[in-house]
Amino acid sequence: MKAEVAQASPEVRQRGRRLLVGSDLAIRVASVALVLATWEFFGPSLNPGILKPPSAILAAFPVLIGNGELQLALGQSLRVYAIGMAIALLAGLVLGIASGRARVLYNVIDPWVSALYSIPAVALIPVIGVALGYTGDLPRIATVALFGVFPILINTQQGVRNVDPGLLEVARAFSSSERRLWKDVVVPAALPFILAGVRLAIGRGLIGMIVAEFLIGLAGLGYLIIVYQNTFRIDRMFVPVIVVAVIGIGLMGFVQFIEGRVAPWLRREQQ
Amino acid sequence: MTAPVRISVEHVTKRFVSGAVTVFEGLDLAVRDGEALCILGPSGCGKTTLLRCMHGLAGIDGGRIVIDGVEVRAPSRKVAMVFQHFGLMPWKRVRENVAYGLELAGASKATIAERVDRYVRLVGLVGFEDAYPYALSGGMQQRVGLARALAVDPQVLLMDEPFGSLDALTRELLQDEFLRIYQEHPRTMVFITHSIDEAIALGDRVVVLSARPARVRDILVVDIPRPRTVASVIADPRFVELRDRCWRLLRKEASWA
Repeated sequence: MKAEVAQASPEVRQRGRRLLVGSDLAIRVASVALVLATWEFFGPSLNPGILKPPSAILAAFPVLIGNGELQLALGQSLRVYAIGMAIALLAGLVLGIASGRARVLYNVIDPWVSALYSIPAVALIPVIGVALGYTGDLPRIATVALFGVFPILINTQQGVRNVDPGLLEVARAFSSSERRLWKDVVVPAALPFILAGVRLAIGRGLIGMIVAEFLIGLAGLGYLIIVYQNTFRIDRMFVPVIVVAVIGIGLMGFVQFIEGRVAPWLRREQQ
Repeated sequence: MTAPVRISVEHVTKRFVSGAVTVFEGLDLAVRDGEALCILGPSGCGKTTLLRCMHGLAGIDGGRIVIDGVEVRAPSRKVAMVFQHFGLMPWKRVRENVAYGLELAGASKATIAERVDRYVRLVGLVGFEDAYPYALSGGMQQRVGLARALAVDPQVLLMDEPFGSLDALTRELLQDEFLRIYQEHPRTMVFITHSIDEAIALGDRVVVLSARPARVRDILVVDIPRPRTVASVIADPRFVELRDRCWRLLRKEASWA
């Protein structure tokens, strides 16, 4: 009895969750520094016109901020991305929960979901252009939503369908109401699946945003990339690329933070 | 001497896979008020299914099961169950898991707090109230499962091989602990097990079931006085005799499995 308790003290166990230790971090920083340094010193000697060094890219930031181009493009992109992802999240959660719960609905939407998820979403952008036109935010919002919705929908659906039957039985054994069953069992059980879906959707949504800006809207960060690529200002072209990367990394970190807050028990699975 | 019957299983039939497998047929069993009835049987004989039927978690295909004069159709709040798989919600802390049944029963906040404290103490988990189940060993997780069931102060306790998935040492420790708790808070209990020693140590009577389709092979009265501990039971001369009888009954059945 005593031995059992001592061995399983929660403080001890919780420290097992994965954290970056000092040496991990050092290797990561060294890796980035090495690549950037190589690029800085040897890149220009290979092709001075195209391989502008990191220092030149850094210097391009104040230029694009000074003339307002970056803020304008960022604003256009973020507005479209936020609305598109909100639609993807809402539609994915509602359809995912409903189809995870009701077999009929699952059979109704599954062929469409499977088909649309198998088609590279890029291939559908011309359809969006034809259907919604090439001007205004709407076609780009639709593209972001299309790219983002399926991982959320499918993960939510699987999360709801894969609830541990043992826990469902516990809920029944304690005479749980349907509402409490969702609160106590189904939603928390599906949450890790849903959050994994959201993490996938963040990346896919960013792809949708940039591709839509390349192919449809001629606005936002994607358009900025195209403009500077066409004028061979590779240093400036990298500015929106880096901004997109920062958005992606930031949002991933945010979802991970949310996960830690709403699902602290998941730390175990990340060990 | 003989207490009134609390749970009566009357000629109950249960089939699986749209009637292809008969789990038990025409099974009769009576659990008396306040007694600890252990059901012992070879693996796969349908012990767990019988317990699930008693709680209304599984339907039956014939006969009836009556608890306190009311036919069982769905789980009742008078009955609480402890599961072999523990059945703890990984997203609830120990405190919240113990409170689960009380919350569903609509107990007041003050009652919940008081009962949770009391039963956490009873099962020896003080200091672990805010831990998540993943941080606990199997034995401690089942203590939580036990506290959750006892916290609703059920009139009938159904135990589905609660120590079956624990290692041998932890199992013995918990058997002892459970004996102490049960003897402090005695109540009508049905305890499923495939361990002969466990059945004798915990039970007032031991029902030995046959292999599928399950029938009652024999019912043994464990006339070892309480309060017991696992050690005191094993030291009792009647233990050897009872174990021998159980073993002989089971061996006949196990050869069929």
